[in-house]
Amino acid sequence: MRSLLLFFALLWVTAVSAISTTGDRLLVVLDDVADKATYSKFLGDLESRGFKLSYETPKSESLSLFRLGERAYDHVILFPSRAKGLGPNLTPNVLLQFINANGNILLTLSSASSTPSSVISLLAEIDIQLPADRTGLVVDHFNYDAASAADKHDVLLLPPPSSIRADIKDFFGVGAGANEVLAFPRGVGATLGSGELLTPIVRAPATAYSYNPKEQAEVLDDVFAAGSQLALAAAFQARNSARFALVGSAEMLSDTWFDAEVKTVGGKAAKTYNREFAKRVSGWAFQEIGVLRVNWIEHHLNEVGATNESNPGIYRIKNDVTYTISLSEYSWSTWSAFSVPANDALQLEFSMLSPFHRLPLVLDPAHSNPEAAAYTASFKLPDQHGIFNFKVNYKRPFFTNLEEKNTVSVRHMAHDEWPRSYVISGAWPWIAGIFATVTGWLAFCALWMYSAPTDKKKVIKKTQ
Amino acid sequence: MSAEPLQALANVGKGESTRTLLRVVILFLIAGAAVASRLFSVIRFESIIHEFDPWFNFRATKYLVANGFYSFWDWFDDRTWHPLGRVTGGTLYPGLMVTSGAIYHALRALTIPVDIRNICVLLAPAFSGLTAYATYLLTNEMTPSPSAGLLAAVFMGIAPGYISRSVAGSYDNEAISIFLLVFTFYLWIKALKLGSMLWGALCALFYGYMVASWGGYAFITCLLPLHSFVLICMGRYSTRLYVAYTTWYALGTLASMQIPFVGFLPVKTSEHMPALGIFGFLQLLAFLDYVRSAIPGRQFQTFLWLFAGGTFGIGLAGLVIATSAGVIAPWGGRFYSLWDTSYAKIHIPIIASVSEHQPTAWPAFFFDLNMLIWLFPAGVYLCFQQLADEHVFIVVYALFGSYFAGVMVRLMLTLTPVVCVAAAIAVSNVFDAYLIVKSPSTEDRQVEDVSEAVAKKAKSGLKSTSKPVVGVYSLISKGAVVSAMTVYLLLFVLHCTWVTSNAYSSPSVVLASKLADGSQHIIDDYREAYQWLRQNTKDDAKIMSWWDYGYQIGGMADRPTLVDNNTWNNTHIATVGKAMSSKEEVSYPIMRQHEVDYVLVVFGGLLGYSGDDINKFLWMVRIAEGIWPEEVNERAFFTPRGEYRVDAEASQVMKDSLMYKMSYYNYNNLFPPGQAQDRVRGARLPEVGPTLDVLDEAFTSENWIIRIYKVKDLDNVGRDHAAASAFERGLKKKKVMKKRGPRVLRVD
Repeated sequence: MRSLLLFFALLWVTAVSAISTTGDRLLVVLDDVADKATYSKFLGDLESRGFKLSYETPKSESLSLFRLGERAYDHVILFPSRAKGLGPNLTPNVLLQFINANGNILLTLSSASSTPSSVISLLAEIDIQLPADRTGLVVDHFNYDAASAADKHDVLLLPPPSSIRADIKDFFGVGAGANEVLAFPRGVGATLGSGELLTPIVRAPATAYSYNPKEQAEVLDDVFAAGSQLALAAAFQARNSARFALVGSAEMLSDTWFDAEVKTVGGKAAKTYNREFAKRVSGWAFQEIGVLRVNWIEHHLNEVGATNESNPGIYRIKNDVTYTISLSEYSWSTWSAFSVPANDALQLEFSMLSPFHRLPLVLDPAHSNPEAAAYTASFKLPDQHGIFNFKVNYKRPFFTNLEEKNTVSVRHMAHDEWPRSYVISGAWPWIAGIFATVTGWLAFCALWMYSAPTDKKKVIKKTQ
Repeated sequence: MSAEPLQALANVGKGESTRTLLRVVILFLIAGAAVASRLFSVIRFESIIHEFDPWFNFRATKYLVANGFYSFWDWFDDRTWHPLGRVTGGTLYPGLMVTSGAIYHALRALTIPVDIRNICVLLAPAFSGLTAYATYLLTNEMTPSPSAGLLAAVFMGIAPGYISRSVAGSYDNEAISIFLLVFTFYLWIKALKLGSMLWGALCALFYGYMVASWGGYAFITCLLPLHSFVLICMGRYSTRLYVAYTTWYALGTLASMQIPFVGFLPVKTSEHMPALGIFGFLQLLAFLDYVRSAIPGRQFQTFLWLFAGGTFGIGLAGLVIATSAGVIAPWGGRFYSLWDTSYAKIHIPIIASVSEHQPTAWPAFFFDLNMLIWLFPAGVYLCFQQLADEHVFIVVYALFGSYFAGVMVRLMLTLTPVVCVAAAIAVSNVFDAYLIVKSPSTEDRQVEDVSEAVAKKAKSGLKSTSKPVVGVYSLISKGAVVSAMTVYLLLFVLHCTWVTSNAYSSPSVVLASKLADGSQHIIDDYREAYQWLRQNTKDDAKIMSWWDYGYQIGGMADRPTLVDNNTWNNTHIATVGKAMSSKEEVSYPIMRQHEVDYVLVVFGGLLGYSGDDINKFLWMVRIAEGIWPEEVNERAFFTPRGEYRVDAEASQVMKDSLMYKMSYYNYNNLFPPGQAQDRVRGARLPEVGPTLDVLDEAFTSENWIIRIYKVKDLDNVGRDHAAASAFERGLKKKKVMKKRGPRVLRVD
């Protein structure tokens, strides 16, 4: 009976873990629940990946991200709202609290409606700026869809996103076909602060810029941002690895643009990449890709003749130790061995106040399997006692933050761990000296005791 | 007037065995009195370890009892001085802990299971009984008078100067080392008098025990050579001195080098050089003695001069070269402050910041020694009268003891034994002269002659042959002097009891105050806070506080600390001082780097408890300034007019400092608006209290004496803490777009 229960429990666990690593409760916030038809393909894709969708409007009384102090949902999608604010249930404080409680948010914007003040404040806190007056429109007179926006140039056609730096793994553009372009219709661009938690996913082409169509229709005197400073989609990962993704155009997730035929300025017809892109952005935001897991960490003494127990709390100076960390990466539905990107390195620090060692961790095939990769480093502890940390600090854009700290004490040499004096060659003269003195003294005593006094006079003098 | 009943009473004590029995009984009573007068705090409060250092000793003892001697010897303590750790086994004097451990195991072997805490609490009183006995022995070596020893024992037993460091619960090194000090001196005198290698070896043995127990052993290390040197200069070199000194020095130095903390110091530091020098000097004297017996007088003269000049020159040159080459360490800071009392204040604030390193105020002598202080010179004078080798010792000890006691408050402790001995000699002299009921007659003179002859035999070269027959004839004058003396003695007992009960029996962990109706009210904030830490924080939560509280946090809260009362690392203490005296933005990275979880401050403003951190704050600033003169500046903490204020007129640096903010955070809420009052400094605080961004208030004790703050983690979404808490308070972030100036571009 118990094993049967366990079996079902395990079954349930595997069923749950088949989707996001942090849970499947997804809240979709729409101005009007009926609008979900617009995004039916996108939401249908999410549902088919295992999420349990709930729909709410910002004004709804029953909308609450927390219940009894715990998160009521694991993920939230915010679609654009026409309201000025998002009401008392979605204040910036609540949203920030949601992120702090490991909740993930996918935020979409639209140039059709001004962005709610609540969202603006939230973005300001995480150092993302939107155009002033809460509205903006990104246009590009060189990369627009000639089919649908021949006049307004406000539907941008972009190449599928690629990674912004060589050492960053490409998560968002890998599934793109040769003839596919990303359509970005009527969206808002944002500028990102220079914090390390923010990473742009899609940057505007060099010729794109953002303006306010209502006020700056005639003269454009102050450009909010242009070119690659303008992020059309951006990722933010908090220190606790909660994720926040910003998509500048909600429309690009709508059914219309998922399989639309577009025409580039050059007149070439192309298919949109939007559906795959939507899957990947939402997958990243909801912890389906780029999720790292530390399976175990083990360090032990690496010396001959010692009992190499696992994870001792204390080492001695100048001990040889081995540190191993096992990592897995989650990708859509399975955990697999994590392999470090080609131009990157996983490093181990052995530090007290500042690092004493910073060593590359290399793949250890003996402890690796298809589901987990073990990385290892062996080294000699420094000649300094104290409380040290084995530290792995691997924080890369789009990957879960890894900050593993294992504290160990490094003690001094105990009184009986030094080499004995007769082992040290420098001590031999002194040892010889000791023995010479001892024998000399004994010989003197023997001589004194067994030599008969020759002269009586002398003896008397001595005893006095 | 008939003297018959008195005489009859006196006759009871005439028989030798009766006298011995009486002495034993009296000594036991003295020991009992010594122990009993130290129990005030146990009776009033409870069996609790006092103050600061004893908490470490107690913790170390518990470790010793739990883990055995060898792991204690090699103990690496990773719960202090985070993250440096402390090689505790190699940096402490293990004598005290080992003594308690031995007693603990002995009692267990006798199937008397006593809690180790009670052993630690009662160790000092128990050893004070032994000290009284050792003083008795030492005094008996000085004078033939049978009463002097007993008087000295009684003085030693209840003198406040000694009680101050040996009440129950004062589990400090001094608790056993004063006994060892006196007993070592007794053995030294014995060895010197007899010229005995056995006594010399015993002296070395107890000297070794002393070295294992207290850093004050240097006092013996310097006093014995000095005594020998004075004797040599007086032309009293003898084979007795040679045997006693060389035995003591050779064995004692070897014994002292066995203590890891001492190690090679006896051959490396200047403090130990006099002992080595006298050792060499004695060898030379012995050699010269031999040469003199072997060669004729005139040749010997030239030989002597050449030899003496040569050795002195070589020795001095060697010492200078070795010191400048760094083989011999120059004198330490604590040593310099013994000669120049303002040295520490200028050069080593960390030494000056300890109250017991301050120079003694003169009333303290009377407070701690009462009438003994004026009997003391009389006793020393009497020593001059006889001036045998052992009396020279008392004279030398008295001189140096008084000087050191005048320079440093805590060295009152080393002065007390010699004061007791000298005073006892003086008092017994008075009593010996005035307590004889019979008027002097020729018979008495004969008795006196006999005693004089005995005294003459004991030493040589004193001109006491032509003593006229002096005596007190009138019973009235006898009665007057004796009763005056008795009144003094009774007053002395009263004074000692009063001082002990009022000044030296407070555990300082628990504060006692009187309520309006006279009943006692216990203020137990310290233990409340430490208990809170123990129960509500992670086992390895690092606590940052000023070093005064390090030992207590380690002992009572059992949490790792950054710095503690073992002030071996000035830089680490200065780091804490800097964190306390800087702005939040400066302090936070320091606290992050040192993995601080909680910060503990002591605040007495509500209760009027003057020993709080704001009053100690300038020391933190000074110590930090010693390491980072550019970043911390003591002057900036004063108002432009040079006042140290905490109210609205306090300097901005003061108001921005973490210590100020932690002390007064939320303090305003206790009072009606604008009425917040600091009762220690008598200041009215500004209407708006300080804000804290990088810390969260975690705990404040009942009377606000202890305040504990939790260090916030880095902000989850990457803001700085000021911005984050401004957002929490509902302030909108200023729009960056409104700012003029060059646009900040993101570069990837």
